[in-house]
Amino acid sequence: MATVKTADRYFDDLRSTRVWRSVFRSGTGSSTLHRALAIQQNVFLHLFSTKVRTRMLSVSATWYLGTLTLGTFLILVATGIPLMLYYHPSAPQAYADTKDLQFVVSSGMFLRNLHRWSAHAMVFLVFAHMFKVFYRGAYRTPREFNWVIGVVLLLITLLLSYTGYLLPWDQLAYWAITVGSNIASAVPVMGNKIHFLLLGGNAVNANALLRFYVLHCMILPLTAIFFIAIHFWRIRKDGGLYSHASEPATLRAKATSSSTTATEGQ
Amino acid sequence: MKEKLTSLWQKLFGDSVRAFGVVSCLFLVSLAIAPAKNHFSEWRHYQHGYLKMIRNRSDAATLQRHFEGGIQQIWLPDLGVVDRCTSCHVGLKEASLNDVSQQPFRPHPVIPHKLGQFGCTVCHRGQGAATTVAEAHNSTLAWEQPILPAKYIESSCGECHRGTLAGTPQLNQGRSMLSRYGCVHCHTVKLPDGKIMKAADDPPSLSHIADKTTREWIYAWLKDPQAYAATATMPNFKLSDDDARDISAFLIANSTTVPEDTIALSAKAAADPTAGATLYGESFCASCHAVQNAAGNLVGGNVGPELTRVGNKVKPEWLQAWLRNPRIYNPETAMPHYRFNDAQVATLTGFLLAKTDSDLLNNVHLEAATPEQVEHGKRLVADYGCASCHEITGIKKPENFAPELSRIGSKPVTQLVFLRGMQHTLPDYIATKIKQPRSFGQNLKMPQYAFTVAQIDSLTTALLALNDRSFTLPPSLTVAAKAESDYQPAGKAGKLMTDLACFSCHRINGHGGDMAPDLTWEGSSVQRQWLMEFLKNPNTLRPALIRRMPKFNLTDSEANELTDYIMTVYQSPAVDRDSMPLSGYSQGQVELGKQLYYGKYACQGCHILDTKMDKGYVGPTLTRVGSRLTAAWVFQWMKNPQALRPGTLEPNRAMSDEDARALTAFLISQKVGSKSEVAKAKR
Repeated sequence: MATVKTADRYFDDLRSTRVWRSVFRSGTGSSTLHRALAIQQNVFLHLFSTKVRTRMLSVSATWYLGTLTLGTFLILVATGIPLMLYYHPSAPQAYADTKDLQFVVSSGMFLRNLHRWSAHAMVFLVFAHMFKVFYRGAYRTPREFNWVIGVVLLLITLLLSYTGYLLPWDQLAYWAITVGSNIASAVPVMGNKIHFLLLGGNAVNANALLRFYVLHCMILPLTAIFFIAIHFWRIRKDGGLYSHASEPATLRAKATSSSTTATEGQ
Repeated sequence: MKEKLTSLWQKLFGDSVRAFGVVSCLFLVSLAIAPAKNHFSEWRHYQHGYLKMIRNRSDAATLQRHFEGGIQQIWLPDLGVVDRCTSCHVGLKEASLNDVSQQPFRPHPVIPHKLGQFGCTVCHRGQGAATTVAEAHNSTLAWEQPILPAKYIESSCGECHRGTLAGTPQLNQGRSMLSRYGCVHCHTVKLPDGKIMKAADDPPSLSHIADKTTREWIYAWLKDPQAYAATATMPNFKLSDDDARDISAFLIANSTTVPEDTIALSAKAAADPTAGATLYGESFCASCHAVQNAAGNLVGGNVGPELTRVGNKVKPEWLQAWLRNPRIYNPETAMPHYRFNDAQVATLTGFLLAKTDSDLLNNVHLEAATPEQVEHGKRLVADYGCASCHEITGIKKPENFAPELSRIGSKPVTQLVFLRGMQHTLPDYIATKIKQPRSFGQNLKMPQYAFTVAQIDSLTTALLALNDRSFTLPPSLTVAAKAESDYQPAGKAGKLMTDLACFSCHRINGHGGDMAPDLTWEGSSVQRQWLMEFLKNPNTLRPALIRRMPKFNLTDSEANELTDYIMTVYQSPAVDRDSMPLSGYSQGQVELGKQLYYGKYACQGCHILDTKMDKGYVGPTLTRVGSRLTAAWVFQWMKNPQALRPGTLEPNRAMSDEDARALTAFLISQKVGSKSEVAKAKR
């Protein structure tokens, strides 16, 4: 017990140093105010509610589906960056680079597989998360806007998946993108324009590869991060994690029914 | 059981700190898998094996010094080659390991290229980037090209070397077969140098076939060409009896006559029953035509058709006209126009017509053809693409009748339909397709060829060489084929040379056959008198050869014309005919030359000078060389034979001028008969 106390004291000392105070402005202390400030004044944590019901942290409340999705997204970013170090988005090099990753880069295969399986997992988790939200009715007022953001994030996830599919530049990739982009050209009136814009030409070639690379590594991840931030911010602003029991409607109904019962009892 | 599990769960994940620890451990272990896999890789295993193997060898120190650990690669950006084969095949360059039979440590056999010059996969195919055995050698979902079986390896030489190459007999044979068997009549083959491969089988025109042969023979031939002649290049189309009947009906009905291509001869054949055989022999028909002897072996050349059963085929009137002058029926024929007199024609006709096989046409009985049959025959002729090879009046040569084969050697395996039980590789597909084309579907039109296994391998090799790489190679790496020129001699002599079909056997200025000597510099090489006599009565120069220059029965004026032309036109700029005299050499020089001939240079090993003593059959006889060759030519030939005739077997002995002059003096002294005879001939 004594050692724990000492460790705590060291930590308290550290937290009262000037440097620490200049970084974390919330200051020491464990009052409710301090703890709320610690969340509020941190750029990463301020997106979250300052208070969460303990009940909502149990597995059964959310199955952690949203958090797991965020986790896979972070893995994808973390593995994607080293993959970018080995990959040239050019027609003669792309396939050779994936071969190099497979055969000569240390743990390159592990990196690639981790990226690939995380991507599959993320798509699965996004869907699972949305089903959970939908069937629990968590999309309803006041959270309808966050549901829309969620749908946008679903689209971004799918687009990330789709654009990443082309990058190995093998037959599977080539034909998948050929088929996929042809689907886009089925859009009425402007289908062919979309097709051309997407591929940077009329067929899947070096331009398409470059476009998909830029989309996959820059535009789509940045957009995703932007919408993820809004998504989290809105959870807080829309009243925290959805709990059926604490919804105003439920509470009102409860109140009415109890009063009714009371009346009936009279 | 359940309790146990519950308690284990409690122990591991009972409280959050413990759960965190356990999960972290699991995570660490899973993270360790990747570096572990890296460490226990196959190439590391083989490199350890190699080091262990060489440790106890006497040459261990050298091998050890040459050895470099880690992933090795040959990188050739120009060729798109990244070959890591040498990571496992460590001893490829170590000639001293030639006693090692265990792969991957065998040294590479000696080849004319450096290993680092082209890498491995340019020749062997496979996946060069891979560092595991299975990925490098086999075809996988992510790599189609497996290792090329060793028996087709010459195909890779053909990617750069577009012409014939001394070291690649199989490839050379395959390539010549593509044109010799007329594959390229139906299948277009565009070569990487932009040319289109031409056929060399010269299929006969069928426009006048009724003059030449009977409907019964056509029927029998269509049913099975090889039954008539084992060497026939015509493939078997596996026609039904009705189809063969209708095609033969159409060809006969469609045939038109050529004036004078049949004659009734009044002259009688020679009474002597052996006269025909003698004339056949004297005319050296066997240089081009083969006949099956009693033992079943073919004797003769393959320029013209086999004549074993020719009596079953040709009509006598046609054969007589043909022997008198083949150019009336077919102006393009490779057959020379012998100047036979009528008696000779009759004798030879009688001799040839006796070459029959009584079984061949025995069972062929055809009713007169109906118009429907002729019409159906015409449709069949169009369907089977007969006109791709043969000229047939009223039928157009079909364009692109069969799939183009220009890049067949890179055809993706995914685009092939394999038979059940077949290996799923491109070489196997090609070989099977050639071996049994119809096994891929009864409705396919490709006919059945009678190829041996070696021929099929050759063809497959040649086809595998027609691949993407051969088209995309940097031009600096390609070795072009020697272009066949379209040289045609001009004037009266030129007409005469065409008539005698000189180019069927001889090559002049890059045009013509390779059976007989190249005549490009003939005017510098021989003496006029000798050439004139040789043309009128060619005796043989090379006793070991069966194929010799035939006697064309030229008139004096024809021989004169030809001799003048050859002596004037076919002159080498390197040899001045008149720079050295044909006589007047000192006895001492001749003696010295004789000593050099028999001593230092041992020429008798290949040449015959003294018919009683010498046994050399490789080079031409030199008994009368002084009456045949010019002194200047002999001198230059001694100095550097390859400069005068590239590819000749004569070795370059790098002679001094003195030696060459002495040998020339000695050889020029070897003249016809006695000195008085020589004097007479000169006058």
